[in-house]
Amino acid sequence: MMDSDCFSLLPAVCLVLADPKQSPPDDTSLEKLLDWFKELHSHSNGQVLFQHQPCLLEFISSVCTSKTTDPAILSFTLKLTGLLAATPQGFHMLDEGGLLVYVFEREAWGVCDLWEDASVRSGWLQGLLNMLKHQQALGFLCGNGLIKVILQLQNDRSLFVACLANQLLVHILHFLTSSNMTNGSDVVGSSETSLRSDWVSVSSEIMNAVVEALSSEDHPQVLQGLRLLSQVLAQCGEPIISTLWKDVLVPLEVLINRGSESLIQTLITVLEAALGTPLLSKTEYKVEELLEAMLGDGNRRECFQCAALIVKLEKCPEVLKRKATDIILLPLHCVSTQPQAEKEMNVVLKEQLSQKASCISLLMQSLSSLAQLAHTKYLFEDISVHSITSSVLLLLRMCSGHCPTSLLHINAFTHLIGCCKVQRCGLDTLGALSVYEEILDLRKDIFGVLLDYLQSPDSHATVLKKTFQAFKRWIVCSPFPDLLQFISHDLFPVLEKRMCDLRWEVRDSTLEFITQLTTALNSNSGFTEALHTSGMVSILLSSLADAEGYVRASAVAAVGEAVAASFHQTVLVSNSKLLEEALVQMMAILSQDTEGFPRRAVVHAFTSWLKGSHLTMGLESSLSSVLSLGGSDFDWEVKMLTLELAEVLMEKTLACCPYAVQNSGSSEETHFTQALIKFKDFGLFDLLFNSLFDCDRPVCEKACALLIKLRTLIAEIADLDNSILFLNLCGNRWGDEVQGRYLNKQQAKASVCVKNGATGSDEGMDCGLHCIKNISLPNILQILDLDDMQKMLTLSSDHVVNSPRSLMEDILSAAQHSEENIVDCY
Amino acid sequence: MPDIKVTPLGAGQDVGRSCILVSIGGKNIMLDCGMHMGYNDDRRFPDFSYVTQNGRLTEFLDCVIISHFHLDHCGALPYMSEMVGYDGPIYMTHPTKAICPILLEDFRKITVDKKGETNFFTSQMIKDCMKKVVPLNLHQTVQVDEELEIKAYYAGHVLGAAMFQIKVGLESVVYTGDYNMTPDRHLGAAWIDKCRPDILISESTYATTIRDSKRCRERDFLKKVHETVERGGKVLIPVFALGRAQELCILLETFWERMNLKAPIYFSTGLTEKANHYYKLFITWTNQKIRKTFVQRNMFEFKHIKAFDRSYADNPGPMVVFATPGMLHAGQSLQIFKKWAGNEKNMLIMPGYCVQGTVGHKILNGQKKLEMEGRATLEVKLQVEYMSFSAHADAKGIMQLIRMAEPRNMLLVHGEAKKMEFLKDKIEQEFSISCYMPANGETTTVVTNPSVPVDISLNLLKREMALGGPLPDAKRPRTMHGTLIMKDNSLRLVSPEQALKELGLSEHQLRFTCRVQLHDPHSDTDTLGRIYTHLKSVLKSYSIQHVPDGTVIVESIVIKVTASAEEPNLKVVLLSWSYQDEELGSFLSTLLKKGLPS
Repeated sequence: MMDSDCFSLLPAVCLVLADPKQSPPDDTSLEKLLDWFKELHSHSNGQVLFQHQPCLLEFISSVCTSKTTDPAILSFTLKLTGLLAATPQGFHMLDEGGLLVYVFEREAWGVCDLWEDASVRSGWLQGLLNMLKHQQALGFLCGNGLIKVILQLQNDRSLFVACLANQLLVHILHFLTSSNMTNGSDVVGSSETSLRSDWVSVSSEIMNAVVEALSSEDHPQVLQGLRLLSQVLAQCGEPIISTLWKDVLVPLEVLINRGSESLIQTLITVLEAALGTPLLSKTEYKVEELLEAMLGDGNRRECFQCAALIVKLEKCPEVLKRKATDIILLPLHCVSTQPQAEKEMNVVLKEQLSQKASCISLLMQSLSSLAQLAHTKYLFEDISVHSITSSVLLLLRMCSGHCPTSLLHINAFTHLIGCCKVQRCGLDTLGALSVYEEILDLRKDIFGVLLDYLQSPDSHATVLKKTFQAFKRWIVCSPFPDLLQFISHDLFPVLEKRMCDLRWEVRDSTLEFITQLTTALNSNSGFTEALHTSGMVSILLSSLADAEGYVRASAVAAVGEAVAASFHQTVLVSNSKLLEEALVQMMAILSQDTEGFPRRAVVHAFTSWLKGSHLTMGLESSLSSVLSLGGSDFDWEVKMLTLELAEVLMEKTLACCPYAVQNSGSSEETHFTQALIKFKDFGLFDLLFNSLFDCDRPVCEKACALLIKLRTLIAEIADLDNSILFLNLCGNRWGDEVQGRYLNKQQAKASVCVKNGATGSDEGMDCGLHCIKNISLPNILQILDLDDMQKMLTLSSDHVVNSPRSLMEDILSAAQHSEENIVDCY
Repeated sequence: MPDIKVTPLGAGQDVGRSCILVSIGGKNIMLDCGMHMGYNDDRRFPDFSYVTQNGRLTEFLDCVIISHFHLDHCGALPYMSEMVGYDGPIYMTHPTKAICPILLEDFRKITVDKKGETNFFTSQMIKDCMKKVVPLNLHQTVQVDEELEIKAYYAGHVLGAAMFQIKVGLESVVYTGDYNMTPDRHLGAAWIDKCRPDILISESTYATTIRDSKRCRERDFLKKVHETVERGGKVLIPVFALGRAQELCILLETFWERMNLKAPIYFSTGLTEKANHYYKLFITWTNQKIRKTFVQRNMFEFKHIKAFDRSYADNPGPMVVFATPGMLHAGQSLQIFKKWAGNEKNMLIMPGYCVQGTVGHKILNGQKKLEMEGRATLEVKLQVEYMSFSAHADAKGIMQLIRMAEPRNMLLVHGEAKKMEFLKDKIEQEFSISCYMPANGETTTVVTNPSVPVDISLNLLKREMALGGPLPDAKRPRTMHGTLIMKDNSLRLVSPEQALKELGLSEHQLRFTCRVQLHDPHSDTDTLGRIYTHLKSVLKSYSIQHVPDGTVIVESIVIKVTASAEEPNLKVVLLSWSYQDEELGSFLSTLLKKGLPS
């Protein structure tokens, strides 16, 4: 629960904030304070804030009377007032004294320049939004003519204010239709509801404003009106939506028929929202008709953008979707088909395709819509996926400068050569099309195009990355008989070249691709063989010494996967050699690499090797080095990963022994003891205890959790032979800590002994103080209050610094420390 | 009229996450994509929903430009590109591209270290984002597409910081990012062409300040460190791995060398090596002095500064330690601080700003008792010093840049409203140009009046001269007639004859014809005569001929009469005229339609 001393600081904080002579605290403090108030409010349903209202009320009234000139404080006050008035109780209190009117009275702010500040206007709206939780609040809004102000703010010059005003208006309408504000219909059995008569004027004021906005000549106003309309449709219920829809239908039709390009997106959003309402089912509301009108007959400039948007709609009627699909595929079709079809090509499209910018954007729309459809595995009707895919392939070829002579006349070709945007988009689409099994026979062509892209010296790094992604999708979706042949004869030679690319981005993407490929084809012995025989493995190994850290890390991952794949095929002689070489280089990276990514990748590789196999001899010899190097790394994430490796090691080793299957008591003990000895040899305990006292919290937390796990296991084995598990405390950093804690405990015990006048020793323990050099593991685990430590670590230092109490202390001390530090962002 | 629109999503009347949208010549560009370090939820990023309501980012934006590697300018980049989704090009200089991921990674690690962090990008996302970055060189004009080009200028401030000129056709905007007009120990001063942009978007952090020289601050810093070390105390300097740290390292290194000091200086992370590597690699981006001495000795190879091991913190005797992170909110710097805070001989020097919610912020506010884990209290007895080393242009510097670039309009960002107001007045007074300071979410629209330069052929000019009138004068605009040739990105006004010759075209005469029906019960010849007489009386000042071959000619207009085959009284009058006499021709046809006077 909330700290009571937080509240004791609140009055002082209020005083500081209300003092116009004080400069306000930094911009985030007020926001965070408000966050805390909101949290309190939602947890206690406003009760806690209500209890502390005297100082808050005082604050509000003193801000109002002192005519604060600071917009930030004012904005904060408005939001706070709204929050306090969110309960009927709080509302009454603020209303009785007239404070509420005083705070939200628009005229009061209008006199001074403060209203000019967007943060004040936004605070005013946010305050009302906070308040609008009960009928009285709505009454207050209407009674004081605030709706008008909100409607004005809907067209504010600040995007943020305008958006907030819209949100508030939607909230008001939504509030009107909520259960306590409507009358159930008098007609029995009807589900119709109507607005209570006293609220009709409010709703019609807002709705009239929407109609007016839609009929306006002012573009931004139309836009805001449409945005409000779509939000109302999406969030409000009946009877608001049908009433509003009836009113806006005519201006909406006008807007749609006018076909203004800059309104398309917003108009579609409106219609999309309408699709989700009962309006769709009533023909007189023309939702479908309007959508169809937006598409037109495919002969308007804007119809392609409309089609692209309609294709994405989830609830779109099927007929419309088909029509939109036909339209959106037209540009793709046009640039990739033979001249005889040209006659049918509409003039508008031809003109757009002849200009570079519009040609590119049309084709991108076409391609990304296609990808969108492929994601849902859309069933095309009039056109085969086969021919669509061929078109995409042709387009990709055109982008890299190959064009069949029959299409050379289309000047789109010249626009497309080397166009990265279309290439990236086309490759994404090609990848997405891999869901259609019926085009598997095109695979040869597809791989041909992709291979061309990989080979082309002109391919941009981002294009190559997309090529790899498309490749992966096609290879993974449908392994085919000649796949290995293709990979080792065609693909690998190109990849090997790309791994020597001058651009690190390309080398890295190539390595990532190889890793993905190896993971996907893990079980395929032929692939592993190909990796070795093609010389790919040695190139991977040489990439471990790349100049770029990112690339080294990806190389580590790729080698890691290659080694993991080879675990399954132990017959190959080259495999053990690979592991040997990989280990040498990886250990070098872990101990010497100046960057964190490769070191992290090394530890990660060890963890996945360990997860995927039993401890092999080769691995075992390196494990203790990995644990000690990883545990003393600069980068706390390397330490974290090392602890994860330790965890897997613990699980694996313990699972190996019959302990897990609950065999006879003696062997259970022996195995467990053996496992512990093994851990000791690996240096696992040094790692865990060092990490426990690390300066980075996540590391301590993980180590603590692992030690607690260990402690539980040890406790389960009753007669564990402690003697073999003595650990040396000397010369260890963690040893000093344990020693210190041990002495503290002894001291405490001694003082208790003295107090109690006890002479004997409790449980055979001596009350005297003495240092220890060797101590058994179970003992250490007891000396360390692991549970306490864990509790503290889960709270973390950040919890203290981020607490409301700390925040208020900061506000207070900033006020005392008035000498201004010069703004310095960096 | 064409216009340029500027909407800050961040840095509008504040010093937070910079993110400014510019629409120019139909292109949309995002300038910087910064993060606010004071929040640990979505408020730390700019609100991109204001862009995405216009469609996907990739479709809306033509490019993103990052001015320098500070997180308040690039911290939201991986979030934008990988989480919101942007596939288009991102431009930054080579050093920024190299250093940016280090800082992003550093901050990601600090952030995920904390509890309750949500919605933050991963290492993989940082890498994927960096793969979309197109690096550029200073003064290299990069063509983003056919119409949009950008060019980077040196900005000082930090290694690799650049100002950007964005140009579409003849309209242009310059965005300064953060810049410094005075050279410092390792960087030079900002410089730009007299490029006369339509808008100069400038930072205004120190809008009202005339800053003392950085030398004073540096002297002060060295003095404080020296005094502490002399009395056997330890100095802790919390820094971020890159940037300020290197600057202070050079400072201490030279001082230690000069004074022959023996106390050890340590740097706490493994990142320094990498950081110094970049400073070496991009030596051309540093100032002249460093570049010159580079031949004899590399300034970034430190003799006195060694790697730190955490056990050193307990060593007796004086030492200076640079430790990360810079705001004392986690990790090594906080751990060392806890160890040293209780000793009044020690000193903490904060060389940068700390956001609320960090231990650094509390200490700078003068709090002497800090609550630590488990309700333990830490007494702060060591001395605390705040030293601002940030390198921003002050009021004088901003005015100097305006003088350099000569913009037509000025727009201030990255500063406090009140201070901006002051500078705005000053700029408007001194330069007589409009100065804007939009708040976040507010759009400033500047109407541009691009003058399109056209070359005029000598022949045309000579002909114009021959017609008399005043000699051509640059200050007196006048109208010229000719044929406009748009070819190979150039515009030329030439005489029609020259145009025909040059383009290899032949001249075609265009004639308009029109038929008018008249009821006139006379012979064709008589009707023509009647027309002649009628026109003579109406068009007194025109030359009208009645040619014997049966035509009447008025200027270039030819009029013939034929009788209708079916109805002899119905005459068809044929009019034909050339383009030059278009007005007269249509006048005559209208006149004849009304009939002839009886």
